[in-house]
Amino acid sequence: MPSNYPGFKYGTDREAVSAAKVKALESLLIEKGIITGDTVNNILGYFETEMGPFNGAKLVARAWADPDFKARLLADCNAACEELDFPQGMSGAEGEHMRIVENTPEVHNIIVCTLCSCYPWPTLGLPPYWFKDPTFRARVVREPRKVLSEFGVELDDSVEVRVWDSSAQIRWWVLPMRPEGTDGMSEAELAALLTPEAMMGVATVEV
Amino acid sequence: MKLQHNLGGLEGLDPINTETQVFVEPWEQRIFGIHTAMMALSNHLGDSLPDYAIEEVPTEFKSFWTWGHLRMGAEGMHPFDYFRLRYYEKWLGGISGFFISEGYITEEELNARTAELLENSEKAAAPLPSGGAAEIDAQVLKYLQEGDSPLRELPAPPKFSVGDRVRVKNVSPGDHSRLPGHLKGHLAEVVLVYEGAFTYFFPTEDGIGVPMPVYSLAFKNEEIWPESLTEPNSLYFNDIFEVYLEAV
Repeated sequence: MPSNYPGFKYGTDREAVSAAKVKALESLLIEKGIITGDTVNNILGYFETEMGPFNGAKLVARAWADPDFKARLLADCNAACEELDFPQGMSGAEGEHMRIVENTPEVHNIIVCTLCSCYPWPTLGLPPYWFKDPTFRARVVREPRKVLSEFGVELDDSVEVRVWDSSAQIRWWVLPMRPEGTDGMSEAELAALLTPEAMMGVATVEV
Repeated sequence: MKLQHNLGGLEGLDPINTETQVFVEPWEQRIFGIHTAMMALSNHLGDSLPDYAIEEVPTEFKSFWTWGHLRMGAEGMHPFDYFRLRYYEKWLGGISGFFISEGYITEEELNARTAELLENSEKAAAPLPSGGAAEIDAQVLKYLQEGDSPLRELPAPPKFSVGDRVRVKNVSPGDHSRLPGHLKGHLAEVVLVYEGAFTYFFPTEDGIGVPMPVYSLAFKNEEIWPESLTEPNSLYFNDIFEVYLEAV
């Protein structure tokens, strides 16, 4: 997204130059035997079909449906992942050590990586643009309620806000509150209500 | 002090851009894939906990490349360039520069091919080269599935316990650091001592890269920023390597 700061000037060919440069680079890497013609597509496909927010959604739906599972998920996220029928890789790249924190009527959690963009790939996939944007990273730690309100979430002052910054090796995510009016829903129906933003703490789950 | 390392609490910024797409331009996907492949083929994986036979993978890539190397590039940038460039623009610059500096490609051939693609729309639309050794892609998949856990045996008991008050040291970040600058000098409470010890991809000037305890610390926002700039009823948690902490 363009900056409003007038000192930052961009050419009209900004994206075209980057697109050409990355294609030039990838083609050279393939020709020189560093990667194959399939490598990048395979990696992108992995995050479309194997590891993405659909996994986190299944875990949250199971936790909502089964309080014992929820306790195990909160105690040891990686071990709890083993209980569901996921593809191999839930403790793989950027998921080696995951932890989930629970939103309640008293506590609301948000994740951030102020240094860059650490994120639990196996449960949430790849991070959305806003999470990587320096403005979010700078603001959410000092003024989380203002940031939440810009996402459309208004919290009462009585709710404690906890911001979790991933500066070391733990990858954090959020177990949102189950919305009212979902008593008869199956786990698949519950999972369909979830968004990455809800599992990062900047959205509530809506029916 | 590195501005891009001291983001927490900056004033005067715009409203949040709530763009939820991962990639805002199609080309960004390609540099993400290249970076991930480099991590999956990095020569250090032979010493990793999973059983990677990295030396037998028939790739020409023989370098050490991790998140730490990508970050080192971002931390070494002119700070205003860091904010001028979008996330994956920084990746494209850093990764291209790495392949040039390691001698895999030359700047001239990258520039010539880029210019060719910009000038010739037929070439720009043509598919990428195909083929390559299947073992490369098998290793990439294995890395995605098995990762590169930094968890190790504790070399010594943790210095701090739950409930302790600690202070974040004021260390220079050097070329690369995992300590957010806005925490330096501030007090926090230990709320969790993670089991085991955590290493890092390589030793840094500021002392991580050997197995050590990591703590979950709770900071009061009014401890870090003037109270008039903070909000009521919020807590800021941060995972911090032991070497960055001192007793109060």
